[in-house]
Amino acid sequence: MVYYNVSGYNSGMFLVGILSWWYGNGWVERLRIINDRLRVTTDRFSVFQLITTLFAPYRQIAAGRVEGSIEDKIRAFWDRSFSRLVGFVVRSAMIVIGSFVLLAQIIFGAVTLVFWLFIPLMPTMGLILMVLGWTPA
Amino acid sequence: MRTLNFNYNSDRSHKARISVKINRSISTGLAGTTIAMLIAGMAILIGGWPFGWALIGFSVIPAMTIEWWNGELHHMAAAAEPKTIDDVLSADILGRLSSNPTLREIATIVGSVTGGHFLAVRFGISNRFIHDLIDDSNNDVQALWQEAWQLYEQTGSQNISASILVAALISRHPNHQRLLSHLQLDLDDLTNGVKWYNHLRQLIDEHKQPRLGGGLARDWSFGWTPLLKRFGQNLSEQANGLNGSFKHLATHEEALDQIIDIFSSGGRQNVALVGPDGVGKTQIMLALASRLLYGDTNLPTNLRYRQVFSLDAASLIAAAPGRGEIERLLPQILDEAYSAKNIIICLDNAQLFFEQTIGSVDIANILLPIIESGNLRLILTMDDQHYLQISKRDPKLAGVINRISVAPASEAETMTVLEERSIKIEFQNRVTFMYQALVEAYRLSDRYVHDLAMPGKAISLLENAAHYSKDGLVSAESVRLAIEKTLDIKIGVASQEDERQTLLNMEDLIHERVVNQVRAVQVVSDALRRARAGVRNQLRPIGTFLFLGPTGVGKTELAKALADVYFGGEDRMIRLDMNEYTGADDAGRLIADGSENGNSLTARVMKQPFSVVLLDEIEKAHTKVLDTLLQMLDEGILRDVKSREVSFRDAIIIATSNAGAERICEYVERGYDIVQFETRFIDELIRTNQFKPEFLNRFDEIVMFKPLTPDELLRVIDLILVGVNKTLALQKVSVQVTDGARKYLVDTGYDPRLGARPMRRIVQRAVENTVAKQVLSGQAEAGSVITITLDQVQQILELQANAEHLAGPMI
Repeated sequence: MVYYNVSGYNSGMFLVGILSWWYGNGWVERLRIINDRLRVTTDRFSVFQLITTLFAPYRQIAAGRVEGSIEDKIRAFWDRSFSRLVGFVVRSAMIVIGSFVLLAQIIFGAVTLVFWLFIPLMPTMGLILMVLGWTPA
Repeated sequence: MRTLNFNYNSDRSHKARISVKINRSISTGLAGTTIAMLIAGMAILIGGWPFGWALIGFSVIPAMTIEWWNGELHHMAAAAEPKTIDDVLSADILGRLSSNPTLREIATIVGSVTGGHFLAVRFGISNRFIHDLIDDSNNDVQALWQEAWQLYEQTGSQNISASILVAALISRHPNHQRLLSHLQLDLDDLTNGVKWYNHLRQLIDEHKQPRLGGGLARDWSFGWTPLLKRFGQNLSEQANGLNGSFKHLATHEEALDQIIDIFSSGGRQNVALVGPDGVGKTQIMLALASRLLYGDTNLPTNLRYRQVFSLDAASLIAAAPGRGEIERLLPQILDEAYSAKNIIICLDNAQLFFEQTIGSVDIANILLPIIESGNLRLILTMDDQHYLQISKRDPKLAGVINRISVAPASEAETMTVLEERSIKIEFQNRVTFMYQALVEAYRLSDRYVHDLAMPGKAISLLENAAHYSKDGLVSAESVRLAIEKTLDIKIGVASQEDERQTLLNMEDLIHERVVNQVRAVQVVSDALRRARAGVRNQLRPIGTFLFLGPTGVGKTELAKALADVYFGGEDRMIRLDMNEYTGADDAGRLIADGSENGNSLTARVMKQPFSVVLLDEIEKAHTKVLDTLLQMLDEGILRDVKSREVSFRDAIIIATSNAGAERICEYVERGYDIVQFETRFIDELIRTNQFKPEFLNRFDEIVMFKPLTPDELLRVIDLILVGVNKTLALQKVSVQVTDGARKYLVDTGYDPRLGARPMRRIVQRAVENTVAKQVLSGQAEAGSVITITLDQVQQILELQANAEHLAGPMI
């Protein structure tokens, strides 16, 4: 390999440095970034919150304890049940939407991580394709 | 001590050099190149040329370089187990060093990178200052590395930044103390500067971390809170708006942990934060709100995403002014908070809710059962005084409250708070604070601001100082200026020419009003000069003097003259006639609270700390009153009834007394000079129980005023006539009295026991009355000079004496 120096800069070290980072800490860093994005998305859709409170009354509407006649208590029970049903529907919808977004992000992240490994090979691949002479129709 | 080598060819050194080469503009250029190559490659491919593949393939090289720079090179971490200096040097310095660096080269580099800029702006350590430290005959770089390494370990830094190298360059200089003193700094300040720089970097790094605040459905399980939103202040929203920057507290972390502990346990869900205003109670609330919102992993689940609402008694009462309205509104609000299930209520200045006087409502009866039941999470904030009052009035309430005391911050804690808060104030006011400004804000607020505790008072002063910046830079001088303008005091060393001249010619200026009494004039002038030259004891008043002597010799006049000449007018004199303090209970009036008695000594000095305090006829005050004043004379501190320290350290305290006046006259008549009998006279005062020795010992100087001679009274007459002419100047009339007449006035009014006091009366009778008649009769017109002769004076005074003689028997 040919080495040359420009003010202490060494092209060999450059190549070794960038490639060792790319397949080492660089890939790990990419994994961390994808993980952070997934955490933010999970938080944005409040997925865990929604799962743990799936059947809780929506916005505490008719959720308090009711003192009174048996009729009042029955009415309160139905009100509360309705509130829980509304909560369940709204939360389930949000969980479904959130899950889709998360899934899409996971797939995209996985593709990125795999693609990352092939990026340094792209100049060589480009040269091979140029030599082969193929062009899209 | 091990040798710290510098390896120019290490991996880290190579990477650092690449990092330095790829700066922001190169990085942008590389991104542009990537896009251009991609677009060109695709266009060429579409055109049917396979060369486009090569362009697309090679476009990843600049893209990879950007990724590498952002991911590793730009903020290159120190080696895991550093052994050589290049393992820990920050990349911006390491990448610029030559293979055999000199001290001068290092000085040049540190002056051109961020850490160096930080010290230049914040501490005033310029590039030139650093270069001046370098002695080319001594190029001991190894010593520098050793010093820097030590600082790196001492400050727990992530790497050896430019700020550490600047500190190391300075500390290895033999005369560093002297050099730094010009900047009002020492080595500890530089270490603090390194820590401050590290802390700011840490805040920037934290700011880049993703914030997890609960998301869209966070509050779906909790109730609506329309009333709370209308009448309360949502601290969680505020914390959210500031992106969780309140999460960490520079002080009171323990109090915050205690709150979380109480609220996550099964006990009574209430907390009373008790501490003086300015101590940081609101800051604790904001930190709590922020921490609950950005749910730490170690936070109990029953507290995660709970919201903190602050309720203000005054605005609630204003919103419900009608009779009984507040009693209806408050339970509704609290019921709403309870039903919502995610609300923590904070009653700021909670004493207002328990005071029975406000709007004739007694909210305590509503709150007490809620606090006792402990179902709704409540935080009360109040100061110690109010907590004690509430405890006394309602011991049951105090018994069910979990009290957390919030003490004022220490100096180190306050400095950390200031370093953090200064960033926000800088952003709001478009200024930059120097470190010296922060130190000065602490020092001066500690001394002069009494209505707030630390760190609140230092922050408040710093905010004020932002308005006195010079070219956007806030130095210690700006802080001094802010407090001088706010409190109307003088604290720095006299710097303006006219003030210096006043100080240097103080005796002459005072003698324009006071005749003779040279020694008294000199001691007060000296005290003031010491104060304004910064060489006095800062923990005492500017000066404490006891003036002894017969009446009418100029004791009070000297105090007035001093207030006029230097303090800005006679109204700068706080005068207390001590014959109004003859009872033992009168001591209380001296130190009464300003809100109840604005004329108490403590209240007046609080309002006007830079003044002359005149305690007239001190011998007439009760012993208990004198005892109260002892600490004021000794340490310049007097505590008012509310136990607040009031500083007299910027005042000159003058006490006057006629005690033993006859003895002074007697000694003088017998031909003694004052200095000859001074000690004997003071002993006599102690022996005759007129003053206690411990009281007299508190004064810097006890000055005896001698009776005025007839010649000196002639000068008093002249001074009175100057005053008369000043008054007449408005009417363009002046008066002059012949020598014979002046002598006659002195002869007539001379009484060694009364000194100059009768002179004003005599002048009034003989001169002012004559002038008044001439002005009214039209004899004296504008521009005329009225001359009063001996005959006229004799005639007037003799006529008056006859009239008094005739009137005498009739009475």
